[in-house]
Amino acid sequence: MNPTELDILLVEDNQDDVDLALHALRREKLANNIFVARDGEEALDFLFCRGAFAHRAFDQPPKLVLLDLKLPKVDGMEVLKQVKSDPRTKTIPVVIMTSSKEERDLMSGYNLGANSYIQKPVDFDQFRETVKNVGLYWLVTNQPVPAKALRAPERLTSVVSRVQVT
Amino acid sequence: MKTAEAPIEAALRQRVTVGFVVAVLLTGFMGLLAWRTKQVASNESDLVAHTYSVIGTLEATFQHLMEVENSARAFALTGMEPLLAHYKDVRATVAQDQEKLLHLTADNPDQQRRLNVLEPQVRGALQFAESIVVKRSQMHAAPSANEVLEAEKLTDAVRATIQEMKAEETHLLSQRTQKASAGRRLTSFIMVVGMLVGTGLLALARLAVNREIDIGAQARAQISILNAELEQRVEQRTAALQAEITERKAALRELADQKFALDQHAIVAVTDVQGTITYVNDRFCTISQYSTDELIGQNHRILNSGHHPKEFFQKMYHSIANGQVWHGEIKNRAKDGSIYWVDATIVPTLSTEGKPRQYVAIRTDITERKLAEEGLAGQALELLTQAEELASSRQALETQTLMLQSVLNSMAEGLVAADEQGKFVLWNPAAEKILGMGAAELAVQEWSEHYGLFRSDKVTPFPTDQLPLARAIHGEVTTTEMFVRNRELAEGAWIEASGGPRKNKEGLVCGGVVAFRDITQRKVDEQEIQELNEKLEQRVAERTIQLETANKELEAFSYSVSHDLRAPLRHISGFSKLLREEFGSTLDPHAQHYLERIQTGTQEMGLLVDELLNLARVGRQALNRQPTRLNSIVAEVVTILQPEIEGRNVEWVIADLPVVDCDPVLVKQIFQNLLANALKFTRPRVGTDGSAPVGTTAPFLQTVIEVGYTDEGGQPVLIVRDNGVGFNMKYVDKLFGVFQRLHRTEEFEGTGIGLATVQRIVHKHGGRVWAEGELDKGAAFYFTLSVGKQVQWKSNGATAGGRL
Repeated sequence: MNPTELDILLVEDNQDDVDLALHALRREKLANNIFVARDGEEALDFLFCRGAFAHRAFDQPPKLVLLDLKLPKVDGMEVLKQVKSDPRTKTIPVVIMTSSKEERDLMSGYNLGANSYIQKPVDFDQFRETVKNVGLYWLVTNQPVPAKALRAPERLTSVVSRVQVT
Repeated sequence: MKTAEAPIEAALRQRVTVGFVVAVLLTGFMGLLAWRTKQVASNESDLVAHTYSVIGTLEATFQHLMEVENSARAFALTGMEPLLAHYKDVRATVAQDQEKLLHLTADNPDQQRRLNVLEPQVRGALQFAESIVVKRSQMHAAPSANEVLEAEKLTDAVRATIQEMKAEETHLLSQRTQKASAGRRLTSFIMVVGMLVGTGLLALARLAVNREIDIGAQARAQISILNAELEQRVEQRTAALQAEITERKAALRELADQKFALDQHAIVAVTDVQGTITYVNDRFCTISQYSTDELIGQNHRILNSGHHPKEFFQKMYHSIANGQVWHGEIKNRAKDGSIYWVDATIVPTLSTEGKPRQYVAIRTDITERKLAEEGLAGQALELLTQAEELASSRQALETQTLMLQSVLNSMAEGLVAADEQGKFVLWNPAAEKILGMGAAELAVQEWSEHYGLFRSDKVTPFPTDQLPLARAIHGEVTTTEMFVRNRELAEGAWIEASGGPRKNKEGLVCGGVVAFRDITQRKVDEQEIQELNEKLEQRVAERTIQLETANKELEAFSYSVSHDLRAPLRHISGFSKLLREEFGSTLDPHAQHYLERIQTGTQEMGLLVDELLNLARVGRQALNRQPTRLNSIVAEVVTILQPEIEGRNVEWVIADLPVVDCDPVLVKQIFQNLLANALKFTRPRVGTDGSAPVGTTAPFLQTVIEVGYTDEGGQPVLIVRDNGVGFNMKYVDKLFGVFQRLHRTEEFEGTGIGLATVQRIVHKHGGRVWAEGELDKGAAFYFTLSVGKQVQWKSNGATAGGRL
């Protein structure tokens, strides 16, 4: 596997949730290339290759974004909206993973272009099962957009130098 | 005169006739005689001529014979051919002469005899002449002298005979001439005598005729006078006749006119003396309904109604049979059986002997009059009854009038009536009290001003043509409110007036009536109510805002509960699980058990949160009604619950449920909760007395869950029934309360929110939910999904309250 290739961007502010999610992913051997953004702003910087992530290239997007809705600074819906309204990022699969099952959240999520919406089960076994299914589907089963189609004329040479794995 | 003359005339006529006859006979005789004389004379002259003819022929015969002799002799002497030819011609002539003589003397035997002598003599002479001719021709020899002598002898013989014959003829001639002259003399004599006699007779006849002519002339003159007289009388008679004819024609015409007139007016019939109908006019047919053909030849009995006694008709026939005119009224029966009355006059037409020849009956239809007469008696009686009734009704009327007066005086409503000109004809005391004034002599246009009538704004004078009473006079029915303020009612008053037209018995408007009452108090009340309403509405609006705010807060709370309350639960669940998995081997069994309890706790809490959220959501969500097949929903729910009944023997009894107008998502929730409950409370369990769990093979644990419905006044009542543990009816009120549970958690898990949610959904639909149960005998849950009567009423009440 290409070390520079990123599999999952996990956007989650709660450390407990991050730990449990990573634990579940790791158990399924899906956590090799995961980057965790702790708020909406960081997630946007990462995805739009700016600020601390200016070295990133658009032609190497994450294969999956797992997005919580309730986030500090910029909430999940706003992140989703920006990602899905920019041609450079809108092909990135975004799966909303949240505690809420409110209808209006579901509706706005789908309206803004979310690829999937999952309520985190309280029961850990169920949670693990869900995470496993999602990871397998998007990372293994699903065929992503071809990388060359994403390349801009002025190709960015910089690569992800470090993948934070906890 | 004629008779006296007749014998004379007859005698005269006789004589004239005789004389005439004698004269005619005489003349006839003389004529005959003259004719006879002439005839005789003619015969005589014929005979004379005959005699001369015979003599001539005799002479010619001799002459010719002589010529034959001479020519023969000449030829014999000369031998000249022309002589021979002449000889032959003459010889032929002699033959002819002999023929002629034979013929002429046929009547005379003496001469015939002499001819017979002559004939051979002539023949000899001719033969001799021939012989010399032949001799000359053949031998060219001339006759000898002997021969000439011979010839002379022959010739002499002939001459002698002819002479003899000539003498005979001459003798006859003289005899005949004498006889003829004697006859002529006698004839002349007779004729002279006859002529004299005839002339005499004619003279006599002339006299007689003259006399006759005189008598005839006289008679003719007489006849002419008589003729003239006769013609005059004929003319007179003709003129008289013509005058009579003209008169009769006029009379006939008049008669025809009169008959026409009569036919137009009267019913006319003619019968013979036997009473057989011989003529009927059209009116007769019309009234009797019989046709002319049906009537002619019939007796009048055909029309007998049976009303009159026999004597009636006997008297009638007696009168008319005696030539008297009969007059009377007869009741007849028409063809269809209907009765008609006629006034009849029967006139007998008398023959020259003074006996009735026929009867002419002239009738007039008096049916109506008779019927009227018949009805009159009954009417009189009726009239009497009516008079009595009238008297009693007048009394009743008086009573009613008094009552009406009392009513008008005591009623609280004002009542005013006006005639069509607007003149007040009624004004009860209440009217005076309400308006403050009594009736006044006013034009309609002055009403509003006089009584101080205003529009609802209290200042605009009420248009007089719009006043209920004014419109009532024009036939309109109206009700209106107005304000009254005048010098007697300084405070003013509100009145409600209703007007309507007064009608006479023909239904024509003849005025109007208006009833009115004081509604001032009502107006005040209405004002208050309106003010209260306004206040109430304001309060409702305020409260609504408060509620909306509260609702939003609740929503925010629910959201945070769902999101924030679940997160720690998830963490507890997750980490306790990880602890058990990763470090379980190092923990003692107690610690492991506690971890398990933590796990269960988190699960229960998760469920609790979910259900609470659900309950809250049901309250917030808008109802999305649509026709829903309940059977599909139940089937879906049963499918969802399938994992729960694994290893269990469950019998579903699901009826054919109706299609109901409801929110399918929420109703699915109802069934889900109720059926889940039913499954839960039919599970194998420990006895209520704490005995050991009953084996699953026990026959009474056959689970039966029933879904059905009953019809309650057109509204379906849905039922979910089970044969589970049931409940004690004394706790039935607690069943639908939030967090209310009738079992210990160890027996049956649960949050106590399921039935509360069911109740909330049912109420949201406007329906009702209730339960029936018995401990250990099962439970039944009933619910409706549409607005029942009670709820309907509540809904209306709420609306009315809102307006108040």
